[in-house]
Amino acid sequence: MIGSIPLGDVLLASGALFTVGIAGALLRRSAIAIFLSIEVMMNAANLALIGYGSALGTREGQIVVFFVIAIAAAEASVGLAIFVAVFRHKETIDVNKINLLRW
Amino acid sequence: MTFPLWLIPALPLAGFIVNGLLGKKLGKSFVTAVGTGSVGLATAVAFARILPFLSGDHAPVVERIASWISAGGFSADIALRLDPLSALMTSFVTFVGFLIHVYSVGYMRHDETEAGYARYFAYLNLFMFAMLTLVLAQNFLLLFVGWEGVGLCSYLLIGYYYDRQYAADAGKKAFIVNRIGDFGFLLGMFGLFSLFDSLDFDRVFPAAAADPAKYAPYLTVVCLCLFLGAVGKSAQVPLYVWLPDAMAGPTPVSALIHAATMVTAGVYMVARCNVLFRLSPEAMGVVAVIGGVTAIFAGIIAVAQNDIKKVLAYSTVSQLGYMFLACGVGAYVAGMFHVMTHAFFKACLFLGSGSVIHAMGGEQDMRKMGGLKSKLPVTYRTFLIATLAIAGIPPLAGFFSKDAILAGVFEHQRYVLWGIALFTAGLTAFYMFRLVSLTFEGSFRGTPEQEHHLHESPRSMTAPLVILAALSVIGGWIGLPKVLGENADRFGAFLSPILLPLASAADVAEHGLSGGTEWLLMGVSVAAAAAGLLLARSWYVKQQGRPAEAIAASFPAAYRLVADKFRVDELYDALVVRPFDWLARMLWKVVDVLIIDGVLNAAAFLVELVGDLLRFLQTGNVRNYALTLFLGLVALMLFVIGAF
Amino acid sequence: MARLVFDAAAALTILFAAVMVVHRHPVKSVLALVVSFFGLAVCYVMLSAPFIAAIQVIVYAGAILVLFLFVLMLLNVGEETREREPWPFQRIFSGVALVVFAGMLLGLLRAHGSAIATPRAALTGEIAPLARLLFSRYLLPFEALSVLLLAALVGAFVLAQRENRP
Repeated sequence: MIGSIPLGDVLLASGALFTVGIAGALLRRSAIAIFLSIEVMMNAANLALIGYGSALGTREGQIVVFFVIAIAAAEASVGLAIFVAVFRHKETIDVNKINLLRW
Repeated sequence: MTFPLWLIPALPLAGFIVNGLLGKKLGKSFVTAVGTGSVGLATAVAFARILPFLSGDHAPVVERIASWISAGGFSADIALRLDPLSALMTSFVTFVGFLIHVYSVGYMRHDETEAGYARYFAYLNLFMFAMLTLVLAQNFLLLFVGWEGVGLCSYLLIGYYYDRQYAADAGKKAFIVNRIGDFGFLLGMFGLFSLFDSLDFDRVFPAAAADPAKYAPYLTVVCLCLFLGAVGKSAQVPLYVWLPDAMAGPTPVSALIHAATMVTAGVYMVARCNVLFRLSPEAMGVVAVIGGVTAIFAGIIAVAQNDIKKVLAYSTVSQLGYMFLACGVGAYVAGMFHVMTHAFFKACLFLGSGSVIHAMGGEQDMRKMGGLKSKLPVTYRTFLIATLAIAGIPPLAGFFSKDAILAGVFEHQRYVLWGIALFTAGLTAFYMFRLVSLTFEGSFRGTPEQEHHLHESPRSMTAPLVILAALSVIGGWIGLPKVLGENADRFGAFLSPILLPLASAADVAEHGLSGGTEWLLMGVSVAAAAAGLLLARSWYVKQQGRPAEAIAASFPAAYRLVADKFRVDELYDALVVRPFDWLARMLWKVVDVLIIDGVLNAAAFLVELVGDLLRFLQTGNVRNYALTLFLGLVALMLFVIGAF
Repeated sequence: MARLVFDAAAALTILFAAVMVVHRHPVKSVLALVVSFFGLAVCYVMLSAPFIAAIQVIVYAGAILVLFLFVLMLLNVGEETREREPWPFQRIFSGVALVVFAGMLLGLLRAHGSAIATPRAALTGEIAPLARLLFSRYLLPFEALSVLLLAALVGAFVLAQRENRP
């Protein structure tokens, strides 16, 4: 249907997206922001997978992405449930303040 | 029926177990019955085996009980041997031991508690077991078991009055000094094992006798090591220092262990190993010299002692020197002869002194005695007979054995040693009669309470004295010198099979003395003895000790030196004990506390320090952990990509 | 032509992801991410994966992010406050590491970019082959996935309960 995209482009995009995701995960203090950054990282991985699948002419990449999306959904729901539970208790979403396991 | 040999040591062992476990609950009569009965039965069994042996062909009998070690090419069995030498030792060890057990009943009965009485007899029985194992052993290993056992019992019995500091110290001293000797004995055994691949008498001695050239070069060292053991066990110079202190134990213990049996184990061992020693003239020379030196050295000290038991202790050391002197010049039979006669008269002397101490209510200082011959007639007469025997007055036992030794030394042309031995014989007569004179003659010099308490000892104590005195008289008649008849020396004939013939002329040749020389020597020794006797009587009976006091006053420093036993103990203390003490203290304070504990504590401190530093990684902050993960990832990637 | 579209869509994705990272208000962050995911869906279409693009929009953007929004609304989460970092080292180290990381990725791409082979056969965007693959070779993971979803469901339910115990 569409012409071939050079794999280099795809990987560049994926890499950039991943870096953005990591930056968000490390530099933000809000728990929600960290969650979202993790989702971004996962999507970057998905992009790379689809790109390789297309480049190698196989559908395996799409299959894997299918599973990843499903798992991401499951993980997001559980994570949000935890987030809800913590927020009810502590009234804050600042990760810095959730530090009972310190020395 | 023939009783098995193992019954002889086993009966006293059974006595030890029974009295040790049950004695204090079952009363003194029970303890007496078991304690003396076990030894009495052992004596009976021993004689039941020995008497037929005497009339037979004297072929050695070996009875194997069990296999003990069997490892590779080496095996050592629990096996007992009956041959002339072990039969001789067993006979008087059991008999004299039995007499002393009987004597102990009277001596210990009234002063001790039930527990103490039971403990005494248990240890005494254990000693008999160990000593009999020693003399009946068929191999060096079993002999060593007995050797250690008698050392242990010596410690236990010397320290019998364990609540007295000096008694406990004496026990320890005996054990430790013995240990030094035992170290030599062990080295000797190792040497024997490496040379002969066996420790069995029937393998080692014939092998050595058959091939002297092969073994002789190494045997000097081995024999000297074994002799070191004998020096410790038989209290020769320089390891004699424990024996005088050992007088802290009960007097029957001194009689049994330190006069008649344990201390003679060294002589027995040397006689047993005569094949090895005869192949090493150097070792024999050392034995002879040490024997001679010990004899005169101890004799001199004995002259200036005032404690009755100390005089007898140094006398024992001196007489043991005689025995080693005999073995050292090659007169092994004479040495063993003296072992036997010495057992009789020395035991009699010690038991007699026990009788005196008992009568004096515990006093042992001769200066406070005197005139006891009228109050203790039996004790006096037996003591006098035994003194005549030890002085070497014919026709008592001591004369024949001592004369045999002197003749042997002269025969082997060791004239210097002969002179020393002759002088010591005179010295022996002198100090022994000094003892008799101070104790029994003259008038009583003690307190009125003591005088009131003086009484003859009960029958259980005097009967053994009488028997031993009788043996001191007739005991020498089985070994008469050749001048009195070609077959007069039945003792020598009996023992001669243990001197295996050597395959080469390496043996010290028998010289043989002419009849005239023998008579001359006999006369000289009797003269020396008589001189000592008369001098002692003159000084201490007629002149009440004044000449001795005069000499002591004119040479005060010399007298102090002799009376302080040449300060050998103090010398050892400075040379050996203190450095060891310092070393031990050093090892404790520096090595153990500072270094080892320090290292451990430092290690623990280090761990704690690292932990204290590392725990700051646990911030509890998820972001930090995420960062750490990411940093790790980056590092890993760098590594993989090869940027490092 | 296709390449241009892809590049534009990718740029959009990355841009709005960055917006998401930067914004302080959580709802705005989520909405920015929604746009970003749409751009990603376009990328997927360009790469011959229309089914996945659809799934991306329906599930990821349409369900997961909506879930996020629900939670945000429910808890009335406010704007993130500007606070000083208790430990500056977090920011510093993160920055350094990120730079190094990005550099490594770029370097890798530049060095080995030419090693990527041309595709053997062009993919069609049909769904049937995908379904066939899913229900034959990948049947087990597929079924396991449903169990996982069940577990997640139960877990989320339990975790988010109010603690009203008598």
